[in-house]
Amino acid sequence: MSNYIPTIGVEVHLELKTKTKIFSNSMNGYGEMANSLTNVVDLGYPGTLPTLNEEVIKLGIKAATILNCNIRKVMHFDRKNYFYPDNPKNYQITQARTPIGYDGYVEITLENQEKKKIYIEEMHIEEDTCKSAHRGEKTLLDFNRAGVPLIEIVTKPCISSGEEVKLYLEKLRELLSFGDISDCKIEEGSMRADVNVSLRKKESDPLGTKVEIKNIGSISNAKLGVEKEIKRQTKIYDNKETIKPQTRRFDDKKNDTILMRVKETGNDYRYFPEPDIPFVVLTDEMIESCRKEIPMLPDERRQIYKEKGILEINVNKLVQNRSLSDYLNTLLEEKIDFKIASNLLLGDISAYLNKKEKTIQETTLTKKRFVELVHLLENNTLTSKNLKEMIEDILEKEDSIEKIMKEKNIENITDDTEIRKVIKTIISNNPESVEDYKNGHDRAIKYLMGQVMKETKGKVNPKMTMDILLEELK
Amino acid sequence: MKYLDKKIEEIHKLLKEKKIKPIDLVEEAFQNIENSDCNSYITLNKEEARNVAKELEKIEVEDNLLFGLPIAIKDNIVTKGLRTTCASHILDNFIPIYDATVIEKIKKNHMIIIGKTNMDEFAMGSSSRTSYFGAPTNPWNKEKISGGSSGGSASTISARDVLFALGSDTGGSIRQPASYTGIVGMKPTYGRISRYGLIAFASSLDQIGPMTKNVYENALLLNILVGKDEKDLTSVNREEEDFTRFIGKNIKGLKIGVPNYFMSDIVSKDIKNKVKEIIKVLEENGATVDFIDIKYLENAVTLYQIIAMGEASSNLARFDGIRYGHSIKDPKDIDDLYFRTRSEGFGEEVKRRIMVGSYLLSGENAKIYYNKALSIRDDMRKEFKNAFQKYDLLIGPTTTTTAYNLSDSMDDPLKSFLDDVLVNPVNMAGLPGLNLPIGFDKEHMPIGMQIIGNSFEEAKIYQLAAFLEKKLKLELDPNRGEKNV
Repeated sequence: MSNYIPTIGVEVHLELKTKTKIFSNSMNGYGEMANSLTNVVDLGYPGTLPTLNEEVIKLGIKAATILNCNIRKVMHFDRKNYFYPDNPKNYQITQARTPIGYDGYVEITLENQEKKKIYIEEMHIEEDTCKSAHRGEKTLLDFNRAGVPLIEIVTKPCISSGEEVKLYLEKLRELLSFGDISDCKIEEGSMRADVNVSLRKKESDPLGTKVEIKNIGSISNAKLGVEKEIKRQTKIYDNKETIKPQTRRFDDKKNDTILMRVKETGNDYRYFPEPDIPFVVLTDEMIESCRKEIPMLPDERRQIYKEKGILEINVNKLVQNRSLSDYLNTLLEEKIDFKIASNLLLGDISAYLNKKEKTIQETTLTKKRFVELVHLLENNTLTSKNLKEMIEDILEKEDSIEKIMKEKNIENITDDTEIRKVIKTIISNNPESVEDYKNGHDRAIKYLMGQVMKETKGKVNPKMTMDILLEELK
Repeated sequence: MKYLDKKIEEIHKLLKEKKIKPIDLVEEAFQNIENSDCNSYITLNKEEARNVAKELEKIEVEDNLLFGLPIAIKDNIVTKGLRTTCASHILDNFIPIYDATVIEKIKKNHMIIIGKTNMDEFAMGSSSRTSYFGAPTNPWNKEKISGGSSGGSASTISARDVLFALGSDTGGSIRQPASYTGIVGMKPTYGRISRYGLIAFASSLDQIGPMTKNVYENALLLNILVGKDEKDLTSVNREEEDFTRFIGKNIKGLKIGVPNYFMSDIVSKDIKNKVKEIIKVLEENGATVDFIDIKYLENAVTLYQIIAMGEASSNLARFDGIRYGHSIKDPKDIDDLYFRTRSEGFGEEVKRRIMVGSYLLSGENAKIYYNKALSIRDDMRKEFKNAFQKYDLLIGPTTTTTAYNLSDSMDDPLKSFLDDVLVNPVNMAGLPGLNLPIGFDKEHMPIGMQIIGNSFEEAKIYQLAAFLEKKLKLELDPNRGEKNV
């Protein structure tokens, strides 16, 4: 097989996380009863007109900002005319000529740790179509999705492998879900990717014939699909055959791309400016206030957590857990040991939250109580053993941590002179064990430790006690 | 039983004093409609109108001259529970599940919807002869057209069936039939009245407006129709105003322009002479009248065709047989459903405009035609704007001829567009324009004059119209008292 240079471009559709639809006041929701989230506007009833959901424009500005795009200040919507049963007006309202964002990029980190910019050609706002389901001879239509706001993000043809496609999609998902733009759930259809693949011999050659791969069900399939498609096209070119412009889909079971349709002629969508929606003019103030509302993005979080001394493994775990990460971000100004704080969040607290299917924001653990808790752990007033006993009360009650400790009868001896006193008594009462220890019997030290614990009813910090014990035995 | 011929204040007084009830007016309207027999209506709202009238008996008559009065609605404005066809086979079974914003306003003001008026199919035409339900006739001469597309609303007002009707005007569809039937028809400024619930023909041009037998009643109806609507982004927020407020004022000092194109050879002699007489009246009463040039007027019809057909081809795409309206039985596949539903459902003129419109937007044509038309339209707007810096109002004939015969050929689509050559520019510029009857031709068919105002200056238009109406004292009832004999 010869080597060809693949040129890949990706188009991603994302459903925006708005309360209502883009052009009507129907709710924007997933998984509801078919056609329960619709009104006459979504159904394209005669006489209806679109309104414009301001939230969509705001999310558009935010997404464009996150993707490092220029933002167009005067824009309009266009009608894309085509007949299809899932398209209630038989035109889709989109932005063909004045996309809200253009000339942006997303940076991915390749396997060799090199950074690569994936350039964004444009990013525009449009409405989703309705969902069709085929039942035997019949096609059923669910208009709940009709009019759900979308952004479509189109890259330049600057991607060169399936791996890069995967990294780009992962990065996009991370950025835009953290930016509260979209749920980015491929399985629910809130993130959908189409990939265009073409091959050519040399960089100086014109681009080869473009093949579009649609219906990609997961990010790993996107990578697989591209790789399979490159192989398929390579074989065709090696056989001196030609490729027709076409649309294919990735088939999970066959683990390959399958022809959907050959593109006969260029589609004629008869675009023209939507006369029902006046031009939208964005002011600098509006853009600025949207920028300010963008939550901290993952890369910045990683950077800060590292600076706070959190272990690399915990940094990544935190960034993957949005609500814990948001919680931690409210504590960044506090003078606490962030290593302990991150262990606490990802350890006992996480375990409890997962068990109860709660988020930390739904617990009683206020900032103040969390800081108290970390301090108690820092100065050994609390042991990790104690924590397990107390975790439910910590997260469900509003009492101070100290009060919970008292109720649970947890009273640790943190005064080392007191511990030393106990240890001295134990040593003088157990000369044989001391002798054994000095003769190199490891078991003796454990016995002595046990005696201390017994005497103090476990209210001492084990590490601190061991240190003093070893000191006294010298 | 001829209450509807009385002055609106008298009818109101009778209602208030409980000498008559709304139901009396409703019954009289239905009787009138039957007597005049102009095919003005596609659907009569008999049962519901009577129910509403009965309901109104239970409430106090408000200080609202429109209370309890019957109104006719053009059949491209959706009415909840009342069939709305757009005079098309494709919607001849369509019963809307919501009310247009103007219908909500009409109901809130306790007017009674008497029926849905005949029109050109999807408002595409100038004689209402493209209606699936046959053309309405002109009460002045039943051999003649009543104009279009709001032909049914025009003929029912002209015949004195009811006092009020709603029309819609995309390229003259209120003013031209008003002119042919001798009534007052106003196309307000684009954005004055919500289009929500008006079945779109050409979205950037469509505007609903009042059609009445006199100027005062026209302004009264406009009062309740206007206002910003959350459901229509192209509707405009303006301070509340009373459109009757200048009615009765003299016209001393008014500066009036007459575009030369409006008095050129495209207009018949009878009409030109009548307008010249009016100009004399204006000058005698202290107004100044200048003949002026407004560029691009002669392009208006071309621009209109490109913009209206382009937009229409997209607006009418939704009629596909899937969710509402006519749908063929046992389609072979989706393309068959589309093809046969639309082939059967739409009439010839509608199909022709959809095809031409699709062509105009296709590929590079959008740039060559549609976008260019939009940009020339902007230039034309600027021309009008300049004119209104010097003049309060512009006047000219509404139409180039009076109403012609129903039997005249429809084969020449260009001719039908030429009917609208004087009314199109107003839509292009988004301005308000009104037709005022100013006399009759040799065959005693009405002649209309168009009064064009600057954006949102409807009140000034009414001022001039009411002044002339009073001066001219025309007998504008085609029945001339014969109706109830």
